[in-house]
Amino acid sequence: MKHDITFTINGESVHLTVLSHQTLLEVIRNDLGLTGPKYGCSTGECGACSVLLDGEVVNSCLVLAPEADGAEIMTVEGLSEDDELHPLQKSFIDHHGVQCGYCAPGMLISAKALLSRTSRPHEEEIREALVGNLCRCGAYADIIKSIQVASRARR
Amino acid sequence: MTRHAFISMETVFLKSFQYIRPESLEEAGRFLAGDAPVKLLGGGNTLLLRIQSGEEEPAILLDVKHLPGFKDVRYHHNQGLKLGAAVNLQHLVMGLEIRRHYALLHQTAQKLASPQVRNRATIGGTLAWASPVSELAAPMLCYDAVCHVWSSRGLREIPLSEFYLGDFQTALAGDEIITHVHLPAFPNRTYGVYRRQTVRHDGRRMIAAAAVLAYRRQQALTHWRIAVLGVDDRPKRIPEAEAALEGAPTEEEVDRALHIVQEQIHPVDADYARADYRRASLNVLLRQAILDVIQQLQSMRS
Amino acid sequence: MVMRKTHVIGKPFPLVEAQKKLTGVSCYAGDERFGPELLHARILFSERGHARFRLRGVEAARKQEGVAALLTGRDLHTRLGAVIEDRELLAVDEVKYAGQPLAVVAAESTEAAMQALAMIQIEYERLPGVYDIESALAPNAPPVHPHMASYRGFDQVQAEPERNLAHQVAFQRGDVEKALASAAFVLDHTYTAAPLQHAPMETHGGVAQRQGKGGLIMWMHTQAPFLQREVIARALHMDPKDLRIITQCVGGSFGSKVFVSVEGLLAAIAREVDNRPVRLHLTREEEFRAVFMTPAMRARVTMGLDDQGHIVAIRAIYDWNVGASVDAFLMEMQRIALAGAGPYAIPNADIQVNAIYTHLLPAAPMRGLSIAQVHWAVEQHVDELAEMAGVSPLALRQRNLVKGGDQLFPNFVMHANGLESCVLETARAIDWQPDHQREASGAVASGKGLAMGWSPILVSPHCKSRAIIQCDGENLCTVIVDGVDVGQGYYAFITQLISFELNFPIEWITVQPTDTGNYDSDWRAIYNNLLWSTGRALLQATAELKRQILSYVSEMWEEPMTNLDIVEGEVISYATKRRLSVLTLLQEGTGEGAPPVFRAAGVYEPEVKAESLDGALQSFATTGYAAEVAVNLETGDLTVLQLAGAADVGHAINPEGVKAQLKGGIIQGVSQTLLEEMRFKDGAPVTIDFMSYPIATTADMPQQIHPIVVEIPQSTGPYGARDLSNHVLVGASAAIGNAVYRATGVRIRELPITPQRIYDALQTQAKTVEGNC
Ligand SMILES: Cc1cc2nc3c(=O)[nH]c(=O)nc-3n(C[C@H](O)[C@H](O)[C@H](O)COP(=O)(O)OP(=O)(O)OC[C@H]3O[C@@H](n4cnc5c(N)ncnc54)[C@H](O)[C@@H]3O)c2cc1C
Ligand code: FES
Ligand code: FES
Repeated sequence: MKHDITFTINGESVHLTVLSHQTLLEVIRNDLGLTGPKYGCSTGECGACSVLLDGEVVNSCLVLAPEADGAEIMTVEGLSEDDELHPLQKSFIDHHGVQCGYCAPGMLISAKALLSRTSRPHEEEIREALVGNLCRCGAYADIIKSIQVASRARR
Repeated sequence: MTRHAFISMETVFLKSFQYIRPESLEEAGRFLAGDAPVKLLGGGNTLLLRIQSGEEEPAILLDVKHLPGFKDVRYHHNQGLKLGAAVNLQHLVMGLEIRRHYALLHQTAQKLASPQVRNRATIGGTLAWASPVSELAAPMLCYDAVCHVWSSRGLREIPLSEFYLGDFQTALAGDEIITHVHLPAFPNRTYGVYRRQTVRHDGRRMIAAAAVLAYRRQQALTHWRIAVLGVDDRPKRIPEAEAALEGAPTEEEVDRALHIVQEQIHPVDADYARADYRRASLNVLLRQAILDVIQQLQSMRS
Repeated sequence: MVMRKTHVIGKPFPLVEAQKKLTGVSCYAGDERFGPELLHARILFSERGHARFRLRGVEAARKQEGVAALLTGRDLHTRLGAVIEDRELLAVDEVKYAGQPLAVVAAESTEAAMQALAMIQIEYERLPGVYDIESALAPNAPPVHPHMASYRGFDQVQAEPERNLAHQVAFQRGDVEKALASAAFVLDHTYTAAPLQHAPMETHGGVAQRQGKGGLIMWMHTQAPFLQREVIARALHMDPKDLRIITQCVGGSFGSKVFVSVEGLLAAIAREVDNRPVRLHLTREEEFRAVFMTPAMRARVTMGLDDQGHIVAIRAIYDWNVGASVDAFLMEMQRIALAGAGPYAIPNADIQVNAIYTHLLPAAPMRGLSIAQVHWAVEQHVDELAEMAGVSPLALRQRNLVKGGDQLFPNFVMHANGLESCVLETARAIDWQPDHQREASGAVASGKGLAMGWSPILVSPHCKSRAIIQCDGENLCTVIVDGVDVGQGYYAFITQLISFELNFPIEWITVQPTDTGNYDSDWRAIYNNLLWSTGRALLQATAELKRQILSYVSEMWEEPMTNLDIVEGEVISYATKRRLSVLTLLQEGTGEGAPPVFRAAGVYEPEVKAESLDGALQSFATTGYAAEVAVNLETGDLTVLQLAGAADVGHAINPEGVKAQLKGGIIQGVSQTLLEEMRFKDGAPVTIDFMSYPIATTADMPQQIHPIVVEIPQSTGPYGARDLSNHVLVGASAAIGNAVYRATGVRIRELPITPQRIYDALQTQAKTVEGNC
């Protein structure tokens, strides 16, 4: 079954025709060509596919595309503005928040969601905010530090 | 529309079905009355996985998240709490009325899964997913939650203690929809504790878990609630053990309650936890939880 | 080579390609665009263990709409392997293990590919299988590879196919029997470690496209493009020069993207279609079911200690369940043998390393893991020995550890090393004390444990490296190397080195993704020890490039070259004080004719006989770990409170990068020690997603992590540096095991240390105590 849907993604409005059983992850990557959200498991375990859906972090592999009708979506591509890296991205670079980097887009999205709620999170809060994002390289400590430093740098 | 067509599925393998977003219960009811296999879609955290693995092959998914009133949350100090079936679990973490009046719900939800899952998972879908390790069931059982259910045949109420039938079965008929859950009001001096032991500390691979709740009336600790997870074919309360704690339980009474619990559970082996181990673990968790509740309630100013 | 700590070397410097990864710009294999021409491949894997099988419906599937090509083992029967070809690309008649490929299809869409495969029915007839070491070695066990002697590469292994011994490496010194007979204390124990999954976050895949008649280009995230080119080309009877592999960003490998797994099938099916690109991308479940596992270990260790506290002898037999293929594990076995006595100068040693065939998924080593498992055994054993003799485990280690100058192997004298600093510094980091045993609060007891580690670095015949640097006005400074960055900071290292040697700003330097097309068809670059060999090649290339630039300017300015130098991106003359920006030089040259293009290459080739399978021992990486754990004595629940990890990296070229690696090793160490275990039912994996195979999350991280960098320079390494990323977690498991013992008094000799194992051991302990009363 086909659905004509409209949503905004990274501030831009898009109209699409999607199938009932397509996932939001598939549509974002395949139809919109945004490669930030990654496939890691499709079972909600890894968070590599994380995006913001109406401001909240979700696994886009477990959202059906037609469910996104009318929603506001943000992927990691929407984090930087006017070619200027977001403070979180800068901090990930400065503090080794990236090893192989495959988990990074999801981590950034989780971090963004956290910071929009809690401007100066404790380490414990950051850990809790990241439990849904697996990093096989084990870069957690540096990712947490990157987020902490970025949160302090903001006013 | 430009189609980049550069990636294959990657996301995968949902067999095709029709996604439908009904506007009213009646509309939903018409689909449920039809011949095609229908499933209700909440947050999809369980359902989509089951479709991927082929355990479920619905022809129609009815998205119940936009039905009128399904996202309502209402609290009244006499009437208690009404949670719409599509309220997400993150609300149980963040909601002020929850933190204040149903702290055990908040405490449990906070440990449940991840922000990503909690933001999507719905109260209705979570309760309807009758896993023996479904964590939300524990506090809900303690708070005497009642599921309000709609079908084209009418409305009915199912107390959560009668809702789980074991082996992933619930008392819901195939055409029934949970509309909301109701929790009665609890007095101020209520205290509850949730304890779990899992192999991975985020909650994966549960060995056992227990929630305990009671409140204090004058010097008496009363209305004890014990709910256990991971040690039977369903989440369940142990009323006989609760009764054994009524009053201000002595050490012997606590032991007796624990003994009763041991007699009424039927754990099974998992590859990471044998049945006897789950028993032993539950016993420890439960004792700690009961002692915590006693201590907290007794230290409250009367 | 002198050690200099100026400029960028030794200063923090983050990954150069990090920005791409953080902004979502496509760079991984799954991100590349190919347009509507793209075909999609899917593989049919066996769901059963050892069985005979027949495929029905293949022809109908082939004719299915949208199918471009379909191959089964009957269409293409060929064997595969880097050294010994003990795998089939596609099975014929007999399935040796669950997860073995039976057919591959390329179609217009994934759905069409899946539909085609769904039309194929597999009829299995179960055959007796051996799935663990014991049953594989049992007297009447069915041999997994009865025809092994006919495989290419059989002459390279010490095998006894009829009793499932796939390869053996052994080494002896002194007289172990005699030494044990006269030792004051002798201890004998068996330790085991479960099979694991590499589980990179990015699953396996890639894109392949036929070029004209015989050629093939593959875009892949492999860690070892040259090895893969060789193996795939041989399996498909291609000339390696016709196969070009272009690497992409790698979303984690840990060893799983070194040896060929499904890549061979991608190449095979792409050759069947007319010049259209074909993509293969495994699902997570397929990744769990069908890509490599790491081998399970059983170690039987005996050590003898004299009354002076000297370890006088060790006998250790390490058996590894390598599944149905030993090929990917061969190189690791020599390293295991060399590491097998632990980081001690023990005069009498008898080490045996056996690879045992079973009907399980092929095994491949994982990032330092086999060596880590060896230490899981040895380093717990040493603690047990210390307790038996009533001495401090630290003192026992200090008395016996290997020192610079010790000769333990023929032709190899141990170099100066930081082993002792590693163990002392980690002990200090967590305040480990010899006397305090445990602290208990309520049911929870805590304890601290130590372990050391050493990990041999071999120079194999494959360990050559080439680097090409080109400077021109358009691209400034581009670098071509033959290694691949898998997250270990390889490209950052290259950038730093060039920036330092040529005194160029970092921004000028671009490292190109590795492309086998840049090299001769017989080029066999390495996939480990990268930093070391690429570093050597780069030093040559930068020296030559600098000479070219200076010589060009010297002609232009008519000044002797000896007056000239490059300083901060400018050529300067010390004599005349003239200066010229290298940028201007590259863009304008002399002002007449075309601007100059400088190009220089460096090559590093080890002097090791190419025909030998074994590499030459070059050095040992040394590590130390210290752990503090808390254990609930009633439930067995285990939390790692602190973990300190130290590594001697020779010279930290990029100290923060080294620490990042160490911290990663610490997390992986915790994950493997506490959580990870692959499980099988009738030979088929039942751990097939992150729910059944949990890996560490932020919730399992130790509250405190202490990465410690120790620097005892390696005289032969670039700037004294030594390779690290493969060795970081060596010792972590044993330190945790030793800490658990101190907290609880029970010794867990099986990995992973699960709460149930602790609980069971505590129960047994309680019964013994009762029995004694
Ligand atoms: C990665 C991950 C981690 C998890 N971790 C945990 C954990 O730590 N602890 C834990 O307890 N659980 C955990 N879960 C399970 C999770 O809590 C449940 O999957 C989720 O809460 C189910 O809610 P949902 O709204 O997503 O349900 P859905 O998947 O949408 O539906 C579940 C079932 O309920 C039915 N249903 C939905 N809505 C209604 C309704 N209104 N009336 C009647 N039936 C309905 C559906 O038809 C379906 O059968 C985890 C799940 C995932 C994917
Ligand atoms: S791909 Fe969505 S959670 Fe892993
Ligand atoms: S950096 Fe590799 S998975 Fe996180």
